[in-house]
Amino acid sequence: MDELLAQAMNRRRLLQMAAGGVAAAGLIGAAPAAARPTANDIKMWWWGQQEAVGIQTWMDDTVKKFKAQTGSSVSPTLMDTSQVIPQFTKAAAAGSVPDVQFLFNGIYHMENVWLGYLKPLNGLVSAATIKNGGGTSLSNYAGKSYRTGFYSLAFGVQYNKEHFDKAGLNADSPPTTWDAFLNACDKLKSKGYTPISGGIKDGFLGEWWLVNSLTQNLDSAADALNLFIGKLDWREPKYHEHWVKLQELYDHKFWNDDVTSLALYPGIQLYNSGKASMALNNTPALPDSQKKLGKDVVGFMKLPTFGTGKMAPYPIVDTQGFGIPSKAKDPQTAAKFIDFMHSPERLKAYWTLSQQIPADSRFDPSVINNPLIKSTYKKFVQAKHNVYIADLMPGLFWTDAMFVISQKILGGNMKGSESGDYAAKITQKWKKQNPDEVKHYTVWGKDLKTA
Amino acid sequence: MVRVRPWVPYAYCAPLVALLAFIFGYPVIKVVDFSTRLVRGSSGPFIGLDNYRNALDDPTFRNAARHSATLLLAVPVLLVISVLVSVILYEQVSGWRIYRSVVFLPYILAVPVVGIVASYMFTLHGVVNDLLAKLGLKALAIDWIGSEHYALMTVLIVIIWREVGFGIVLFLARLMSLDEAPLEAARIDGASWWQRLWHVILPELRGTIEFYVVIAATTVLAFAFAYVWTLTQGGPGDATTTLEVYIYNTGEVQSLPGQAAAVATMLLVVMCPFIATLFWVRRRAASDALAEAA
Repeated sequence: MDELLAQAMNRRRLLQMAAGGVAAAGLIGAAPAAARPTANDIKMWWWGQQEAVGIQTWMDDTVKKFKAQTGSSVSPTLMDTSQVIPQFTKAAAAGSVPDVQFLFNGIYHMENVWLGYLKPLNGLVSAATIKNGGGTSLSNYAGKSYRTGFYSLAFGVQYNKEHFDKAGLNADSPPTTWDAFLNACDKLKSKGYTPISGGIKDGFLGEWWLVNSLTQNLDSAADALNLFIGKLDWREPKYHEHWVKLQELYDHKFWNDDVTSLALYPGIQLYNSGKASMALNNTPALPDSQKKLGKDVVGFMKLPTFGTGKMAPYPIVDTQGFGIPSKAKDPQTAAKFIDFMHSPERLKAYWTLSQQIPADSRFDPSVINNPLIKSTYKKFVQAKHNVYIADLMPGLFWTDAMFVISQKILGGNMKGSESGDYAAKITQKWKKQNPDEVKHYTVWGKDLKTA
Repeated sequence: MVRVRPWVPYAYCAPLVALLAFIFGYPVIKVVDFSTRLVRGSSGPFIGLDNYRNALDDPTFRNAARHSATLLLAVPVLLVISVLVSVILYEQVSGWRIYRSVVFLPYILAVPVVGIVASYMFTLHGVVNDLLAKLGLKALAIDWIGSEHYALMTVLIVIIWREVGFGIVLFLARLMSLDEAPLEAARIDGASWWQRLWHVILPELRGTIEFYVVIAATTVLAFAFAYVWTLTQGGPGDATTTLEVYIYNTGEVQSLPGQAAAVATMLLVVMCPFIATLFWVRRRAASDALAEAA
């Protein structure tokens, strides 16, 4: 009965009735045939232009070429950063979803998998795309894949080669150990530069710091997951050493003095304006830095190593991606579109049209004509690399531990050595408030171990 | 005379009452229902009062409640500034019409715009500190939004800066409608400015003051989210996390809509006396007006 009532009253029904009224008024046929959706027309909610500037050109071209080749239209909607996932979750709960949905990696889409809002891609998208398409191990749950890659991004430290030269450092061989890094910061500071810039107000610098540094003391991504769910203990020194190191940089006054009052990107702007010598960043932002500082001035390196975990020697690479909602109206066409995005011609076009790197191991990097991006691709993306462990972080840990601890340390209100206790308490709180998610995380951990 | 059956007026009102119940009542019922569930997606299992217990046990929630209560300090400040400025404008100092427009200007700006602009102005190397340095007041140049010690005060300053315009215009409008005779009599009797304010103007403004206090308190308790979010996002640490930020973080970022609903329900309960007072003030004002007319 309720279902019938809902069917009778929902907005779609009202629109149909209104359309009926218009038809009765003799207006039928007024709309052009092309405007009427066909069975194969699909909707896509996507995100990326905000991070990978220029990717919209590639996306527009891809939609156009897909239409030309298959006859199916894709209606893309570029979503706002803060809304791309929450909006999808709400839409999925209401049963009104696009056919192709942009998905951040890890927990950001996995919660939707657990709610049954995403379809497994196995058997829908080609096996080759699932295997090579950059979904990463964080997109697998209970043996199924739920996401394929879009573009890829490596994380590390961008540095100013001119500053390095002036400080007597070798810009072609940036520091690789923590002591060498501190020494480089000292030299840069003595030359009047801010050694490293950032802004912690919005918390994302804290996330990037955690990813670049905590990873160094882990043996696998499963370790990160076990920390977040309390199976490993933050109070063990190696698991909060990264926050001790953050405090070390604060104590030496290596960060810009307004790091606590700036958000991430205004902090990075200090690097782009030549005031700071280094900044944590990711590869999609490098061309912009090159435009501002000069092509040969920008360098990119892995955060120097202090950790001793098995993951320590390797850089960090993440991918953005796409999935198909469970209630997609046309999952077959959606899958075809995802496969099309990973076709050889489209992979090449990522670079030629947008100067971005696709998340697909079949991409031929010979097309890259920017030496910095080419070498970064080789050293980070093609080389053995780590996943982006913040993708495993529960939301509560983000707001109540990572955000708070990094801000307190950079504000001089917490010692790195106190952070382990603080993080452990938040993990216990998360466990208490999310008993059901602990179970999901445990299953997910098994997938990560076997990945 | 046509006799109307007793139920007929109710029948006329029923559609509107039903509509209002749906628009306002249904969401409240749904929020209360959510607050007793472990909501995942669109619903979840009933867990009794666990969400309330979890929130009350959470130090972040307690800090948020304390910060929201601290923001109530804005109310007396807003009241005093609004009354004083409106009385000065009422005395028609030269250019008072321009001043009236200028003080009201911030109020017509959208809160997120105010918050974002202020977040740039109040950075360590922002306009505010530059100005202080130029005025030879460098000692007062602090890390307004980057320091745990000052961030909540900065939020308070920005709220007062924007909201005070509404109070000034409200009180000025009431003053303009006052009977001039008692004030004139006080002047002739030699009453000073303060005496006129204290013994004549403030008693006349009593109803408006009560109304404004309730509105201002409601604003800082339940409508300050946009200020906090655009200025500090609840940080540094949790130094400016208010109940609204807590609700947002819990519901949207931490995927715990049930617990967010529990806190929203508690906030609603706290707001009820304010809402009741507002109704009482308005009803009394209406009956006073009727009595005066009679």
